[in-house]
Amino acid sequence: MLNLNAVHKSRGVGAQRYSLVIPALHLRAGEQVAIVGPSGCGKSTLLDLLALVLAPDQVDRFEFNQTDIGGLWRADRQTALAELRSRHLGYVLQTGGLLGFLDVRSNIALSRQLLGLKDDGSVARLAEQLEISDQLAKKPAALSVGQRQRVSCARALAHAPQLVLADEPTASLDPLNAERVMQALLARAREHRAACVIATHDEPLARASGLQVRRIACRRDTDGGITATLGEVC
Amino acid sequence: MRLGLVASLAWQDYRNDAWLSACAVLALVAVVAPLLVLFGLKFGLVSSLTERLENDPATREIIPLGGGRFSRAFVEQLGQRGDVAFAIPRTRQIAATAQVGTLTLEMLPTAPGDPLLNGLPVPQGLAQIVLSHTAAEKLAARPGDWLETGFARQVAGRVETRRTRLQVLAVLPLEAFARDGLFAELSLLEAVEDYRDGRAVPALGWDGDAVGAGEQRVYPAFRLYARNLTDVEPLRVFFAGQNLLVATQALSIAQVQSLSRNLSIVFWIIAGLALAGAFAAIFAGALAAVARKRRELSVLRLLGFSTAALLLFVVLQALYSAGLAAVFSAGLYGLAEAGLNQLFVQVPGEHASHLLARHYGLALVAVLGVSAVAAACGGWRVARIQASEGIRDV
Repeated sequence: MLNLNAVHKSRGVGAQRYSLVIPALHLRAGEQVAIVGPSGCGKSTLLDLLALVLAPDQVDRFEFNQTDIGGLWRADRQTALAELRSRHLGYVLQTGGLLGFLDVRSNIALSRQLLGLKDDGSVARLAEQLEISDQLAKKPAALSVGQRQRVSCARALAHAPQLVLADEPTASLDPLNAERVMQALLARAREHRAACVIATHDEPLARASGLQVRRIACRRDTDGGITATLGEVC
Repeated sequence: MRLGLVASLAWQDYRNDAWLSACAVLALVAVVAPLLVLFGLKFGLVSSLTERLENDPATREIIPLGGGRFSRAFVEQLGQRGDVAFAIPRTRQIAATAQVGTLTLEMLPTAPGDPLLNGLPVPQGLAQIVLSHTAAEKLAARPGDWLETGFARQVAGRVETRRTRLQVLAVLPLEAFARDGLFAELSLLEAVEDYRDGRAVPALGWDGDAVGAGEQRVYPAFRLYARNLTDVEPLRVFFAGQNLLVATQALSIAQVQSLSRNLSIVFWIIAGLALAGAFAAIFAGALAAVARKRRELSVLRLLGFSTAALLLFVVLQALYSAGLAAVFSAGLYGLAEAGLNQLFVQVPGEHASHLLARHYGLALVAVLGVSAVAAACGGWRVARIQASEGIRDV
């Protein structure tokens, strides 16, 4: 479903250079991976590449859903990339990324409405599973951070995407809530057979949640720049 | 991108920012409502003055000065011009009088289409007339009355008078003709002129010299009315080109037209400045909105919104403000119009302030157009919003 080989991305030059190297990353449907590493190691850059919002510099192979993503970037086919994003990707953002002017129900339904999908009951079902049914009529501002993260999870899954990306989804939660949100997200993703890539600095939580863990390791090069490399499952 | 979804999201965000949206609407109302009042005053005043001129046929009358020599065919040709509403030859004024009792009446020729008669029955034949208001008053005559009318002439120093009975068909309103006069078919005026020239009028049984066969009648003047106010000046120029001096109300008409032109210039200068100000305000508002909503817009971009859809989101919100501002402005103008007309209008049917439906339509289109263009210019910065900003979510 997702296949990356020898994908490179660099920013800046000389001592300001930062390079991310992904030697290999292969994900099948339903597979769940945590990307761990310290702040600034390149977790977000990796998520940007997987979210199809950042163009790679060098690509040996970058396929998603049997589509040549490297080719789409080379041809600058932004519309096709946006279409893939809205149809096959779901996002859980650090503080929810909810739209404050919509109520919870509309926030969850948005990813379906963008695709022109009618409500098949999945909004209410996900809300039930994520224990936010009684919050559906509220605006995000009236929710706790933990509730917002659950709404964000529901929105990420409502249109049944093939790949769910989460950027530090539990960073702003207390340990108890962090575990509950992580479990809820992974359980629902498993149900939908959606692959998950979760960027987190909380390796113990990732391991406790049953995720495969892959570290990003950084080294300083002779030019003073930094090269970060995605390691194998450890 | 789904237009309905973008419009719905833009509306929900617009409602959520109710106070800011209300400020945007009020800022536009502050520009549009005074402009409507200003234009309403200009249009109401000018159209009332114009209407006053148009309702008075005398304004459109073109009167030949001095004695002329016109054939019937020439006057008929004038009557067929597109810019002429009515034309009829006049006989010599000295021969166009009638005596009813002690009252001497001025005789004027008339025919169907005479603007002075305006809906009244038109006299036909030699025995029907329409009386002027003052004449009817002095004679205590009403429609249907028969008047014993005398026509005098001097033959070899001897005064001769012939009489005929004329039926009053109708009485003209005072504003149509303020002198003592009667309107009759041209044939009656020709008969009277023939009689006073010493000729016989067999149709009325009046004796005199026989009329020469094939003799062409020459008329010294005509009654002529332009079709519209704007036709008066071109007709004056036409007659001047024919070396014919005419008297017109062109000056009065030009004064109203000049007033209209000058008021229009003043209005458009004020409107231009106000709309430029509104453009700047909406432009700045759109810039601020993009900066303020950057997080939401980047999330929408991440979820699949294109640049066009994000721009539409910003433009639609400006259009919502424009639409509401147009409605409120029209309401405020309506109140102002009622008040101004109550205060300043003395003649029923006239307006101190007045707008037509097309003026409201034009104002709506202008406000929507300026708002859409200004918001599109200011909102163009959405193109710089990256989907990756949505992922950062900070």
